[in-house]
Amino acid sequence: MLNRVTTQTMAAAAQLNLQAGSAKLAALQDKATNLTNITRPSDDPTGLANSLAVRGKISAAGQYSNNINDGNGWLTTADSALGQATNILNQVRDLTVQAGNGSLNSTAKEAIAVEIEGLNNDLLAQANTQYLGRNVFAGSSDSAGAFSNATPPVFNGTPGSTVQRRVDANQTVRVDADGGAIFGSGATSVFALVSNVVADIRSGADVGSRLTALSDSIKTVISGRADVGVRQTKLMSAQNSVDGLKASLEVQRSGIEDADIGKAVMDLKLQETNYQVALAVTAKTLQPTLMDFLK
Amino acid sequence: MSTFGGLNTAYLGLTAAQQAINVAGQNIANAGTDGYTRQRIEQSALSAPVRTGLVAAGVQPGQGVSVDGIARLGNSFLDAGVRSTAAQAGYAGYRSTELQQLEGSLNEPGPSGISTALQNFWSSWQGISNNPGEAAPAGMLLQAGTTLANAVSNGYKAVDAQWTRVHGEAQSTVSTLNDAAARVANFNATIRSVTASGGSANELIDARNQVTETISSLAGGTVRDNADGTVDVFVGGNAIVSGTSHRDLALAGQTSMGAPGAPVQLEWADRPGVAVPLDGGKLAGAVSLLAPAAPGGAGGAIAEAAASYNAFATKLMNDVNAVHRTGQSTTGATNLDFFATNPGAPAALSLSVVPTSAAGIATGSPGSGALDGSIADAVAQIGTGQGSPDVLWSGIVTGIGTTSRSAQQHQQLADAASAAAVGQRSSGASVSLDEENISLLTNQHAYQAAARALTAVDETLDVLINHTGLVGR
Repeated sequence: MLNRVTTQTMAAAAQLNLQAGSAKLAALQDKATNLTNITRPSDDPTGLANSLAVRGKISAAGQYSNNINDGNGWLTTADSALGQATNILNQVRDLTVQAGNGSLNSTAKEAIAVEIEGLNNDLLAQANTQYLGRNVFAGSSDSAGAFSNATPPVFNGTPGSTVQRRVDANQTVRVDADGGAIFGSGATSVFALVSNVVADIRSGADVGSRLTALSDSIKTVISGRADVGVRQTKLMSAQNSVDGLKASLEVQRSGIEDADIGKAVMDLKLQETNYQVALAVTAKTLQPTLMDFLK
Repeated sequence: MSTFGGLNTAYLGLTAAQQAINVAGQNIANAGTDGYTRQRIEQSALSAPVRTGLVAAGVQPGQGVSVDGIARLGNSFLDAGVRSTAAQAGYAGYRSTELQQLEGSLNEPGPSGISTALQNFWSSWQGISNNPGEAAPAGMLLQAGTTLANAVSNGYKAVDAQWTRVHGEAQSTVSTLNDAAARVANFNATIRSVTASGGSANELIDARNQVTETISSLAGGTVRDNADGTVDVFVGGNAIVSGTSHRDLALAGQTSMGAPGAPVQLEWADRPGVAVPLDGGKLAGAVSLLAPAAPGGAGGAIAEAAASYNAFATKLMNDVNAVHRTGQSTTGATNLDFFATNPGAPAALSLSVVPTSAAGIATGSPGSGALDGSIADAVAQIGTGQGSPDVLWSGIVTGIGTTSRSAQQHQQLADAASAAAVGQRSSGASVSLDEENISLLTNQHAYQAAARALTAVDETLDVLINHTGLVGR
């Protein structure tokens, strides 16, 4: 530099350099403390857009997890209710076979009839099972129970209206079971069938002919339960994929937003040293003038 | 040469050395004064008197030294460089500061930003989709909706407040500018009369230079020197200071962001309606920020941000309501709105949540059971679509971030240019203590030597007067 140099230009240059150095130091200190690459949009506008998108996906994945947990509760409840219903129907079938034995007197038959009636009530109670106040077998209907208290009980659900839980962006899983299909409704319902068995036992008619129908009902309930099991498996695999998704999204987010701790600390240390050197040099250069040497 | 001519020559040497020492003293005293330009004594040798007449013969020495003036060692080209870079730095610095403030008001990325509020909002729709008609998830959803609406309106309010503040600053900058112009005119009058009476106006010129620099950094003025020592200052091509008179500028146009009226512009107070085109300075930055929103995002950054908030609020309302209207609530009500705005007010400011309880939230599709959650799920899915409000918001944030980033880079360049120009000027104009010490030393010796010359003449005359003609006495 061929310019004229004076104490003032030296002081100004020193001040400018020190200011730049300390601004850089402050920026690095900020970064090392927060350990984030993006503290404001202008730090990295495109990175921020990615970060917002990834954060949106993370939030959605968290919600899918909640949905899956809730759906799992529904399906578990439906599964255990259908298991109970199968047991009850098996008992009814056994008692019906017992009642078909011609050697029984009317008192014994009446006892069996009473027992089957009790089992029919239990079956209705299972069909009206609730999860967190919602009927598991009534779809999206808001009626008090899945089946009415009439004789025979009538299905209250809306046909074709199902309860779905969203497990990812493109897929929902049905978490209820169709009570109308599994238990039937009104005169064709399994409750009516059991009532008919009771009536037949009381009237002394042949109950053997009802056994086939009872077996069919048991099969229907079991296949309904199998369907629930299949969907529960689907939920489990969705849970796994959501967990994997959450982990990989978190890695993405961290890659975009988080600063490299080693680099941040190294940069800070280096800049600290630079700044101290600049201070020391400034203190040295600004000291002497001709005044110090004139006597 | 007369008998006593030597005395006068020595005397002139004494006074010249004294003057030079005084100037060195003034320089040293002002070594740290802001805007001070170093001065130097200008002296010339006095030639011998021209001899005329019959006895014009013989060689004569000169008659001593003359102090012609005290020069101010400034450079008007370097001064002009400082002014033009100051105008650029003023413009870029103001824009950068305000745009950083603007992006700060977005609160992105962070838990209090609109993106987080949006994510919570969509999640809450999933929540109510799982449990339609229940008070707890409905309360969550209404809370999330209100938080989102508040975040939007708070963002808009922050932008609105910033517009008002920038406008206020522009107003006070205009009065600072007018005040500076008046001061330059006053300086012109003083400098003209001092110069006319032969005095040194160096310090006054320094002070005037500082004021014209202020004008440049505020409004990008250019300066033209006149023969009588005065300067004319031009802003946007017209003289704001002309000799000893000045013209006032005024800020015209709308006084708040939403107010009707012409765009904010700078005008001459005596010529209303005609905009003054500024070529730099803080005022140009402020006026550019205060411009109204224009199609394609070409308007002022603040009004554009406000328009973005409105566009976002409108899109959010329309997208959510479009799906929400197709559903029915658990009580069977249909054609319900979720968000509403007041048509008379900015959409972002008046965005509000319509339902007050679960009964007003359409969760299911008509025809299915009362506890159907498919419409709530469909609303929740709005957030993941291609043209979702989330994408729009991310675009807004990225846009403001990019504008702010380029303004910051512009500021760095303009600051560097300004620092370089100031450095170049002070390299020529600032006081060097070493130089002044040498000058002191030189002139001190010159003074001593002149005194010695005086003594020599004195002693010579003493011989002539007191010791001549005494031979043989």
